[in-house]
Amino acid sequence: MTMNGWLQILLFSAVLLAVTKPVGIYVLKVYDGSFRWLAPLERITYRLCGIDPEEDQHWTRYAASMLIFSAVSMLATYVVLRMQHALPLNPFNRDAVPARQAFETAASFTTNTNWQSYAGETTMSYFSQMTQLAFHNFVSAATGMALAVALVRGIARNSAGRIGNFWTDLVRGTFYLFLPAALVLALLFVQQGVIQNFHQYITATTIEGAKQVLAMGPVASQEAIKQLGTNGGGFFNANSAHPFENPTPWTNFLQMLAIFIIPAGLVYAFGRMVKNQRHAWAIWAAMFILFAGGVTTAYWAEARGNPIHAARGVDVVATATNPGGNMEGKEVRFGIANSALYATVTTDASCGCVNSMHDSFTPIGGMVPLVNMQLGEVIFGGVGAGLYGMLVMVVLTIFIAGLMVGRTPEYLGKKIQSREIRMAMLYALIFPASILLFSAASVVLPMGLKGLNNAGPHGLTEILYAFTSTTANNGSAFAGLTGATYYYNTTLGLATLIGRFAMHVPMLALAGFLAERRVVPESAGTFPVTTPLFVALLISVILIVGALTFFPALALGPVVEHLVMGAGKLF
Amino acid sequence: MLDVLYIAITIVFFGLMLAYVHACELLGHEPVEGEDRP
Repeated sequence: MTMNGWLQILLFSAVLLAVTKPVGIYVLKVYDGSFRWLAPLERITYRLCGIDPEEDQHWTRYAASMLIFSAVSMLATYVVLRMQHALPLNPFNRDAVPARQAFETAASFTTNTNWQSYAGETTMSYFSQMTQLAFHNFVSAATGMALAVALVRGIARNSAGRIGNFWTDLVRGTFYLFLPAALVLALLFVQQGVIQNFHQYITATTIEGAKQVLAMGPVASQEAIKQLGTNGGGFFNANSAHPFENPTPWTNFLQMLAIFIIPAGLVYAFGRMVKNQRHAWAIWAAMFILFAGGVTTAYWAEARGNPIHAARGVDVVATATNPGGNMEGKEVRFGIANSALYATVTTDASCGCVNSMHDSFTPIGGMVPLVNMQLGEVIFGGVGAGLYGMLVMVVLTIFIAGLMVGRTPEYLGKKIQSREIRMAMLYALIFPASILLFSAASVVLPMGLKGLNNAGPHGLTEILYAFTSTTANNGSAFAGLTGATYYYNTTLGLATLIGRFAMHVPMLALAGFLAERRVVPESAGTFPVTTPLFVALLISVILIVGALTFFPALALGPVVEHLVMGAGKLF
Repeated sequence: MLDVLYIAITIVFFGLMLAYVHACELLGHEPVEGEDRP
């Protein structure tokens, strides 16, 4: 580990803290209807779609609207991917996407996962990239934000189960938040050298005299929403390790910041909405402590490198001219600190874009992204998804605290009773059930094992990572697993759907149930949610829920791989 | 044939999710006030 590396991590943290409040105020204004500068466009959209923007929807109607919108847009994407060979903007005559991959891709982008079992530059037409994948990048992100705001309304209101209007939340999030922010960020990316064109692919001659085809395309516009919407699907197969997607240290910094900026700001906006800013900062602090723990562990593990390399004489000590540590799978221009930081940020959030190959990390370094996702991506998390995941954890924390003192738990003046806990537990249990059941099936079924490229604990980690990444709607790949098969395309596609919608429904039910409750004044038995004790208890609950459910699998994967590596064996 | 299968999987999944909304609503129907413990 170097001072330079730590300074970059500290700079990132300081900038994140500085932008949280201004971004939070902006987010608040988007969803409370303060912004009207696109009102004519909003009105036309509502009229064309037959939406009544004044309707305050019951949570069941809100959930049904979200499900129907997602189903229709997913089916539309499936059809376009299957027919892209007959559609315009296909200068390289890309064939129809195979049915299994079209299903997985449509599910993956609809759910904000962006897991990709294909190389974008050799599979997708410009039409598919721009009208389907980019469309989902915007609306899946806006859907996540809408659901988080709906849950916050449930906490803040007493409105007979009514939690807002899904359609207006979707439209406002897209028009006032993601489109303008993506436009600004795309221009910054273009200024830094990210490409944005419709050119034919270029054939270049390398220094060695070989011919190399350089893929072109409208990259910057997709790159911006890829980060801001915590989508993560790259235009190119190499994702943000590709110099056309992430050419400079500044684009690397902006990308990481863009992933965290809206989730962090949303926590501040939450505080304003529930009129308890200190509680919001307590949640922010819990998120930051977990983030700091993750990046410290990943940086330490990668900077320490592989002891087997050291034993064989490879120089793993950092010097002025040698980064040392484990540089396998990392871009030389980003180095170890920025690779570890990027891997932590992208898996704390549900982004999933990568600037290094997580499969090439050391066992402990690679375990950090895996654990980040298995904690439910509540460490700032995906846009919207991070906050509502964290609020479910807060409800569980308050419940446990209530059990300790023998009183009915209260959260911000709302009593938490059995039906709220049922919904919170459904939310908390569906997640590990999907990951562990799919992973368990894949390590015993021949068609699951057929996709493995590594044996032993590393192979188990590859399978576990794939189902964790898809269920968590992250989309980053550990690599080493051949995902483009009927078995994996179908099961991973299903995992993305379960991880998104089977968790959304109980979360919205929780919002509706809380919105039915009267606000009661705080009493001496109310557990304070603004203190360091609350932050410590919240972190403990998150870690214990994660440890209890995933530790056995982690022990057989990265933990045992780390121990065996110490004994001189690699997988 | 595969197209029919994958489209059917999608429709069935979202149909189940709509039923799941109803099931959660039923789970929420219970007395909610006045059972605070001392």
